[in-house]
Amino acid sequence: MKTSELKHDSALKHVTGQSVYVNDMTASRQLFGRVVYSPLAHARISLLDTTQAALVKGVTDILTCKDIPGLNQMGPVVDDEPCLATDEVTFIGQAMVLIAAETEEAALEAEKLIRIVFEELEAIVTLKQAIERNHLIAPERRIECGKPDEAMRSAPHCISGELETGAQEHWYLETQTALAVPGEGKEMLIHASSQNPAETQSIVAEVLGIAKNEVDVEVRRMGGGFGGKETQGNHVAAWAALLANASRRPVSIRLSRDDDQKITGKRHRFLSKYSIGFDEEGKILAYSVELNSDAGAATDLSRAILERAMLHAENAYFIPNARIIGKAYKTNLPSNTAFRGFGGPQGMAVIETAIDRMARFLKKDPSQIRKLNFYGTEDRNTTPYGETISHNRLHLMYDKLMASSAYSQRRQDIDRFNAKNEFAKRGLSITPVKFGISFTTAFLNQAGALVHIYTDGTIAVNHGGTEMGQGLNTKMLGIAADEFGVSHNFIKISATNTSKVPNTSATAASSGSDLNGMAVKNAIDTLKARLSEVAIAELKGKLTNATLSAGELIFSGNLIYAASHPELAIPFPQLVKQAYLKQVSLSATGFYKTPGIGYDRETGKGNPFYYYAYGMAVSEAEIDVLTGESRLLRTDILHDVGDSLNPEIDTGQIEGGFIQGLGWVTTEEIIWDDKGRLLTHSPDTYKIPTVNDIPAVFNVELLTGYPHEGTIRKSKAVGEPPLMLAFSAWLAIKDAISAVGNHKSEPDFSLPATAEVVLFSIEKIKKKSLGFSD
Amino acid sequence: MIPRRDTIQFVLNDQLVTLAFDAGNELKPTTTVLNYLRSLPFHKGVKEGCAEGDCGACTVVVAENYHGKLMYKTIDSCLVFLPMIHGKQLITVENLADAGTLHPVQQEMINHNGSQCGYCTPGVVMSLFGLYKNHYKPGREIIEDALTGNLCRCTGYQPIIKAAEHACSCVDTDKFRLHEASIVEMLKSINRKKTAIEIQTSTRNYFKPLTLPDALAFRSRYPSATIVGGATDTALRQTKKGELLQEILDISGIEELKYFVEDEQVYKIGSGISLEELKRHAAGKLPALYRMLQKFGSLQIRNQATLGGNIGSASPIGDTLPLLIACKAGVRLQSADSGRVIRIGDFIKGYRLTGLHADELITAVHIPKPDSSTTISAYKVSRRKHMDISTVSGGFSLQLEKNYVVEIILAFGGMAEQPKRAAETEAFLRGKPWTRATVDQAMDILAGEFTPWSDARAGAAYRNLAARNLLLKFYTETSSPAL
Repeated sequence: MKTSELKHDSALKHVTGQSVYVNDMTASRQLFGRVVYSPLAHARISLLDTTQAALVKGVTDILTCKDIPGLNQMGPVVDDEPCLATDEVTFIGQAMVLIAAETEEAALEAEKLIRIVFEELEAIVTLKQAIERNHLIAPERRIECGKPDEAMRSAPHCISGELETGAQEHWYLETQTALAVPGEGKEMLIHASSQNPAETQSIVAEVLGIAKNEVDVEVRRMGGGFGGKETQGNHVAAWAALLANASRRPVSIRLSRDDDQKITGKRHRFLSKYSIGFDEEGKILAYSVELNSDAGAATDLSRAILERAMLHAENAYFIPNARIIGKAYKTNLPSNTAFRGFGGPQGMAVIETAIDRMARFLKKDPSQIRKLNFYGTEDRNTTPYGETISHNRLHLMYDKLMASSAYSQRRQDIDRFNAKNEFAKRGLSITPVKFGISFTTAFLNQAGALVHIYTDGTIAVNHGGTEMGQGLNTKMLGIAADEFGVSHNFIKISATNTSKVPNTSATAASSGSDLNGMAVKNAIDTLKARLSEVAIAELKGKLTNATLSAGELIFSGNLIYAASHPELAIPFPQLVKQAYLKQVSLSATGFYKTPGIGYDRETGKGNPFYYYAYGMAVSEAEIDVLTGESRLLRTDILHDVGDSLNPEIDTGQIEGGFIQGLGWVTTEEIIWDDKGRLLTHSPDTYKIPTVNDIPAVFNVELLTGYPHEGTIRKSKAVGEPPLMLAFSAWLAIKDAISAVGNHKSEPDFSLPATAEVVLFSIEKIKKKSLGFSD
Repeated sequence: MIPRRDTIQFVLNDQLVTLAFDAGNELKPTTTVLNYLRSLPFHKGVKEGCAEGDCGACTVVVAENYHGKLMYKTIDSCLVFLPMIHGKQLITVENLADAGTLHPVQQEMINHNGSQCGYCTPGVVMSLFGLYKNHYKPGREIIEDALTGNLCRCTGYQPIIKAAEHACSCVDTDKFRLHEASIVEMLKSINRKKTAIEIQTSTRNYFKPLTLPDALAFRSRYPSATIVGGATDTALRQTKKGELLQEILDISGIEELKYFVEDEQVYKIGSGISLEELKRHAAGKLPALYRMLQKFGSLQIRNQATLGGNIGSASPIGDTLPLLIACKAGVRLQSADSGRVIRIGDFIKGYRLTGLHADELITAVHIPKPDSSTTISAYKVSRRKHMDISTVSGGFSLQLEKNYVVEIILAFGGMAEQPKRAAETEAFLRGKPWTRATVDQAMDILAGEFTPWSDARAGAAYRNLAARNLLLKFYTETSSPAL
């Protein structure tokens, strides 16, 4: 079996119910941990009395901010996020009190007996309120190129507008959870569901006031992450650790679904303002955009997320004169956080809307305007931040996908369908994705690995990445097997553990395979060099040719041999045994850092990305003109992953990412009331796609034959980019609305395009076409 | 005095289990099957994803003896109280493989990369197992229906659909088929005498009669007990609101209430029939009901929920109610001494309020067969196409004579505190020609008849607009193209 055909390394455990998640673990004398959180969006705490609660039978510990032995802080970048509220609460869901009890019932009973008196303060719960008050949470950022003002003034046409893009709940199937197990002395072991074990370790050490070397964090797997456990998995871990430290007993915390949805941050909602200047043909001359994001009550990763939104504001299009302004605002809502795409989707949605409007204005098919403005291969290939686009796949992929999806033919079919049907309309759209790969905070682009070979020839591979379903461990398994030239059955990928590989970056930014793959290879290269010396010594004894060098050795088929003498091959386990007897170290670390990248966020210039991943999608949607409901009839995707490490796993990422994006642009709507209460706090009202919502025809193809030099096995990252392919579905729905008015007027549109948004947009268009003014 | 027992029995995979709820036992009669399984050392495959029957991570299969054969049904174990599986076989993901050989549904899930993070996978596998046991070479629609109740956030579902197609393309020869006869015998041995279950603990009383007379006797003795048919609504009070359900009268085990019969005028439907079974009967007979049930919850929910429960909960957004109103259905109410049939419209009294007397149970629903001049339709508008609660729903009935409206019923859900007819609009339309022009006028009247609310599902303005448009939709589907 080729290693690129390996199935998910946990698949067998998944389907038999044997895979172990944090909440499936039990430790002896384990307690239930419970988080008591603020019911108000902004208030002063004038009284907090836990005396009665502490008397409940079975309750062992009740903690408030005063009981934190270390720092009362869990902000990952900026120290603006208390672990437990002090004298003020700033969002509904903010942790105030922790309870540990023998049973869940006892903890619940105790919670009811906690007395808290609040003095309610004015809360900012909408982005508009925050913008009006200029309630910034971080300094404004800018990227500029050319002369945007001049170019906009002199452009033959200019369109301006606003676009709202909504928040999105991660809805990982496994809610936030952690099990903290105290050891001897100050030791603390955390079984975490975290995309960033090193940071979990950091924050646990900080709140406990102990050194990092006292804290071990282990992550076997997560039941989904999607960015939601990049920083916010730290919170439950810190709370569980505080309770475990106080009780010196194991404590597990698992948020209920409703609590998880209420407490944790989401994809940032944005309110963006744009102007686009263009010529008769449809070429963009100038683009100016202000991206305003709702950071929530604390900074979390909002700065980097806004930065990525700005760095993707132009998506796949060359813009000679651009001004991109980014502002993040503080509101009294849970701190918004990483979510697949990390700001990229919010930035891209605006330019895709602007282009869609240009096409309607010019009475051209949007596909033509897109193609016209794609980055060039020879010229017109510099981004607003100054990075040069090389290995541009946009034109190639566009031509392939337009043909394979029969776009032009279907455009005609759709026009005919729309002419015949009053109450059902169809729309079609093609949208591209160009996504920058690398953490934009350059130093994070590093990874470590630790590889052991045991004397029976089996191999344990540890790396700093975490497995959340994306198949990272399967890819690492394939890489290790190929590099060692042994069957994957020899190799086990261990749980991620901070005591094995330290100081790692989050498994995020789609970078897991790129970074950790290289680090694993680096460790294996070291071991192979050592084994080669042993092999040469062995082989020399049997050969007359005494000039055998390591370069002539081949590791393949569970054997090591000289190319010239395959008959003298040494079985891998035998060589390992020999190495051991010769006192050769069979353990090595590996390390990798991405070369040649850097970005100056003050000037808005640099080369933040090692390379770009490309994708493109064509979607066809149908809307019910009477209810506004929509469905996806067909989607064709072509996606670029270089030489795929594992085509089936990559296809799974593409399909899953697209459907997750589809949810964001259609049914997933997050609604807070005017008090900052989340109304959509359970799957009863928050609607992610079901099996019925996927396109009836769903063709996903990988771009093959275009290896990417300079990455592990010439592959490209795949985690995030496909999510943004869902803009094709979003704009297909808009195209269908537009058909209600024979494409003569611009539909009102926002994201998500819920039935409500669609129906009101239709009604407005109907009125316009009847001659009523707005 | 009713003979009674205070333990329950079921077959867990292939072992007979007897559970008592005495002091010192952590189990309560209202412990859910999910929490029971997860309290055992080797049954942690089943997962809690939402504790409200909306995600399916807790899906398990129950097999019931049906005339000597086993009927396999997927259910959401988070909404099922332990006594509800009394007399049934409970099958979990850990038990599907046969001595090291994976079940076909498991193997195909691996072959087609059907799992990523794996957290939803045990539930998905159990749904596929249910599909495998019930369908040979199912079409896409059946596969989707079997999986509607299983949310997966990773895969985008396509590989799971492929796994279903492949697994169900082979003839069922699994170990469950081989052991069917012996399981049937074990199930038969439980409660041959239909002895009622009465569990009384210090905090909770749970009554589970297995015959209608026993049920009516319990009902009059414990009138304040919460009646549950499938518990898919009631269980949420415990799992979501943390309520202590002190007294439960569980009528899910009464076979006499599970029927669907018809005579020349009427379909008579037992209140205990599951919505999935009702859906099967409705196919070809009650097309509007069938279409509505296709979009009702998920298969897991429909396998558990009953028609009586949907009516008895009297929710303003109960999916069957507007349609039953349009059908002029009657509700049969039975007490130990007497019975009566009243119109469904008269039975629903307000927000979650009915005219059920303290000693009565809903035993049946009677749906008159429409004459050939009457058309009945049901519509459901929701944020998501499937497994969603209606934003607005409509049950409409129209009787035409020479294209004039003889009678029209326009019942709406989601527009008021209870399912409500658009009386003024109906009155306006009666006697009028059934044309676009009249319908346009009627739509304006309709808009003034309701003052719906705004909530997480939609705003009031949307509800009004959608309700108006449903009338137009009904018109387009009932008007003859020539006119």
